Amino acid sequence: MGNFTLGRYLPLDSPIHRMDPRAKIMGMLLMLIAIFIPSGWIGYGIIFVCAAGTILLAKLQFGFILKSMRPMMIMMIFLFIINCLVIHTGEPLFVIGPVVIYKDAILQTLYIVVRLLLMIMITTCLTATTKPLDMTLGIEDLLKPFEKIHVPAHEIAMLISIALRFIPDLIDETQRIIKAQESRGVDMKEGKMQERIMAILSLIVPLFVSAFQRAEDLANAMEARGYAPGEKRTRYKVLKMAGRDYTLLLCCTAVLAGMIWLSRMS
Amino acid sequence: MPIAFEHVSHIYNDGTPYRHVALEDVSLELAEGKITAIIGQTGSGKSTLVQHLNALLLPSAGKVLILDRTIEAGSQPKQLKSLRGQVGLVFQFPEYQLFEETVLKDIAFGPKNFGVSEEDAAKKARTAMQMVGLGPEFEERSPLELSGGQKRRVAIAGILAMDPAVLVLDEPTAGLDPQGTEQMMSLFHRLNRESGKTILIVTHDMEQVYRYCDEVVVMEQGKPKLRTDVQTFFHDSSLCRELNILPPALIRMKDMLRENGFTVSDEISDVNGLAKELARQVKRHG
Ligand SMILES: Nc1ncnc2c1ncn2[C@@H]1O[C@H](COP(=O)(O)OP(=O)(O)OP(=O)(O)O)[C@@H](O)[C@H]1O
Ligand SMILES: [Mg+2]
Repeated sequence: MGNFTLGRYLPLDSPIHRMDPRAKIMGMLLMLIAIFIPSGWIGYGIIFVCAAGTILLAKLQFGFILKSMRPMMIMMIFLFIINCLVIHTGEPLFVIGPVVIYKDAILQTLYIVVRLLLMIMITTCLTATTKPLDMTLGIEDLLKPFEKIHVPAHEIAMLISIALRFIPDLIDETQRIIKAQESRGVDMKEGKMQERIMAILSLIVPLFVSAFQRAEDLANAMEARGYAPGEKRTRYKVLKMAGRDYTLLLCCTAVLAGMIWLSRMS
Repeated sequence: MPIAFEHVSHIYNDGTPYRHVALEDVSLELAEGKITAIIGQTGSGKSTLVQHLNALLLPSAGKVLILDRTIEAGSQPKQLKSLRGQVGLVFQFPEYQLFEETVLKDIAFGPKNFGVSEEDAAKKARTAMQMVGLGPEFEERSPLELSGGQKRRVAIAGILAMDPAVLVLDEPTAGLDPQGTEQMMSLFHRLNRESGKTILIVTHDMEQVYRYCDEVVVMEQGKPKLRTDVQTFFHDSSLCRELNILPPALIRMKDMLRENGFTVSDEISDVNGLAKELARQVKRHG
């Protein structure tokens, strides 16, 4: 539980950090689509190399990425077990008790694990290198064209940025409450069913209470400073695309095209 | 049994860019059966220090001796629950830990976790409520709809009901009204004098330190800068000024009087005494 790293901004100085958030968001979307194209192991290899290169350029550590994977471990193990039980195609590989493990079960799980890893790598490249505020500006700009069809671009961007802003706070809060309840003898890790339910309740209730409290405080603070949704606002920071931003977009588009080509080939 | 830190360091988020050394090579022994105040500027590591006492935080290096336990860096201590029953820790802003339907149930939650029966837990809860000055009319109310100060009392009662041998309080009176603060501090004082509990209080309030505590530990940038008894600490204001701490009003008053040619004895420890002494001296000269 100690260090929750998924989605955190890391204040470093790198070429990736300095890029235009719009380019980074678009690039990430292109790469995410590329991951969902069934391009086989070669395709995933290419995406992995690109993502790893970006991580190096952004001066991020691979340990940081692996740490963000940790919360998903349980989910993946669960998935593996389910797959083993339901998938009965491919060659049977080995037998554990009454269960026969088939090759496809392992392949399927591996596919999902690899995709998840790639997705986390790529989203981390965005979230770890982009200040939440820049992210909002980027999202808002990208949604601007859709305002014509009454998409509330500014409100959506504000929503997202507030949600992002609260994630670390809520994590800290969770840890604080866990500690407070542990001081009262709660055991978060083991115990009988009934005790575990109590333990979870003792965490969830205060967490909700404080989340609502925070939301209300923030709303009041924003209103007190004259914020009104839908009203015209000027910007302090104006985004500008530079050469490297176009290069990034070009590379991502090329990868996506490559994946499509690869999937056609097989 | 001593409470001691031996070369304890604590590093938050080690191995990430958010790495932060909150305690650095702390060696410190805390007096048993006394009230010790832990003071220091915000961010100096007070909360981090006290969370080691019931092993909520484990040392990154060094070891902590508490009651009959030794908690060493790198080991995975077992049976922390029994330790947590003996060392009650009230968190900074503990009102966020309330969750039960009624005040009584919330206070009884702690003792029940330590294996006390339902009835006994309720009994302990009632006693604790009385101690913190919550009348029986609060028993059936929801803790979530109380005022901030009342919530604080419920949270403190929740730890008192566990009847710990060592009581650790992280800024227990921050945000309470002056009357509530008095009440709480004299409760802790009583618990120490009557039941012999070892009490540690993290506080920013020098008046409290002066009036209720026996010992002082000054934290500075993750290290204990000084540990001494309250009398020595407040003997005159020079030590406080050296540490950038505003001494209690009484001490400042005494100092000013001395600067202006009065003789004020160290024995005087409250406003009444000082006023009488002053009147005596003025009359004699007048
Ligand atoms: N969970 C945490 N993760 C990372 N850093 C932390 C964490 N908790 C505290 N710190 C850092 O450790 C340092 C010491 O914090 P601590 O809470 O012990 O200070 P404190 O003396 O209790 O301050 P205050 O008087 O404000 O309560 C601070 O610089 C703080 O930023
Ligand atoms: Mg603190």
